[in-house]
Amino acid sequence: MTRRADVLIIGGGVNGLGCAYNLARRGVENIVVIERGYIGAGASGRCGAGIRQLWGMEENVILARESVKIYERLSGELRFNIFFRQGGYLMLVFDEREHELVSKTIPVQNRLGVPTRLLTGSEITEIAPGINLDGVLAAAYCPKGGVAYPYAVLWGYAEAARRLGVEIRVHTRVTHAARRDDGTYGVSTEKGDFIAPTIVNVAGARTKDIAAMIGIDIPTKPVRHEIAVTESLKPFLKPMVISLKKGFYFSQSLRGEIVGGIGDPNEPSSYYTGSSPDFLFRYARALRETFPPLGKARFIRQWAGLYDMSPDARPILGTVEGYEGYYHACGFSGHGFMISPMITKLLAELITTGKTSMPIDTLDLTRFAKGALTRDPYVVG
Amino acid sequence: MGKTILCHCEDVEVEEVYSALEQGFADLETLRRYTGIGTGKCQGKCCLVQTLRILASLARTNAAETKPLTGDPLLIHLPTIRPPVLPLRIADIVEAGETAVAHDKPRIEEERS
Repeated sequence: MTRRADVLIIGGGVNGLGCAYNLARRGVENIVVIERGYIGAGASGRCGAGIRQLWGMEENVILARESVKIYERLSGELRFNIFFRQGGYLMLVFDEREHELVSKTIPVQNRLGVPTRLLTGSEITEIAPGINLDGVLAAAYCPKGGVAYPYAVLWGYAEAARRLGVEIRVHTRVTHAARRDDGTYGVSTEKGDFIAPTIVNVAGARTKDIAAMIGIDIPTKPVRHEIAVTESLKPFLKPMVISLKKGFYFSQSLRGEIVGGIGDPNEPSSYYTGSSPDFLFRYARALRETFPPLGKARFIRQWAGLYDMSPDARPILGTVEGYEGYYHACGFSGHGFMISPMITKLLAELITTGKTSMPIDTLDLTRFAKGALTRDPYVVG
Repeated sequence: MGKTILCHCEDVEVEEVYSALEQGFADLETLRRYTGIGTGKCQGKCCLVQTLRILASLARTNAAETKPLTGDPLLIHLPTIRPPVLPLRIADIVEAGETAVAHDKPRIEEERS
């Protein structure tokens, strides 16, 4: 049987559910979300969940700043505790190049209303007692950064969306998608067919595969990133600690676990999400170096998820010429969760009014054909 | 009647699992993230099979009724098994990594799921 929807959203992650919620709040009816696994089975449920405003490009600083404002009120708005804890973000600076970068970008962040400041020596240990400062020149610190529980964000969005009439179908994998002769979109799944005049492609690292079925070429690549979690420890670490140079990040969850990971520049592109001992060796070394007492803590689980890498590590957002009614948001390159609230707000604005409250033309898919890409230097891992 | 603890690591009662199921957190992947079962030190070695038994018996009764529970027997399976098998001390991993001979990482191009 074919289900006709006004808006069909592909992807039950933070962008799909957030978009459904924002559209429903704007009065759109007959919205269906389809998800290939369970809610959050993709990158949203596997991410480090850091919410950071320390960015190099104004576009990212603004997306992050606005998203933090939304995250700050989201528990109340959704009537679901998303466990957003603003313990701050502490970016360690290990060499002159990084020092120059943060010295140049902190004024940009400050001008845009993000209260980042540069700390040295005991100022750093005050924020993160027990941290090893060997080799650390300074640290950029933003007290407004934090961490949320990704599943709680997803469930909160899903329940609020359902209350507004959104239908969410899980374990519904897309097998075929195409534009029909009448301009609507037909999507086949293992559990039935869908037709909708408006389709939102927010399927994480698989967005490009859905787009390819429709005839749209998106130049993103899936890249595995691994994470590990320790047993619960007494609370001792407030901020998320990250390093651009070493590629690691970690924070302490409200359950006391240290959750974090480290990137691997040699990781090949694939959909593989298995775990490796190599990651555990490198991450364990980084953790013990940064917090020597953590040597005594134990890892209880590691896992992996996919970054949807775009050529300039910036998101792809908007419409595609010649495909009326088609919208997408992808290529988040490891920082989708932190800017998602603003991204889904913009998507809902775009779909309902054709306009957005901040310019998004720099995130258009067409930029890749034009060349001259700018990459944000603050991408970790 | 007293309480029945299902997950000893995270101190979760059977009743909490039924309550989560009633709220719609219906498959094991979702259930363990909502209640915390199987996410502690033993990583579900004690509780996940018991939970599957609950899901299986509910799936049988719910196949006839239409409750917001997963009635699909294909979804009743253990979550992905992930390392480490037992909790591993970070210092021991660092040491093992330093003494290990250079190892090649597997290069897997295709999806394995």
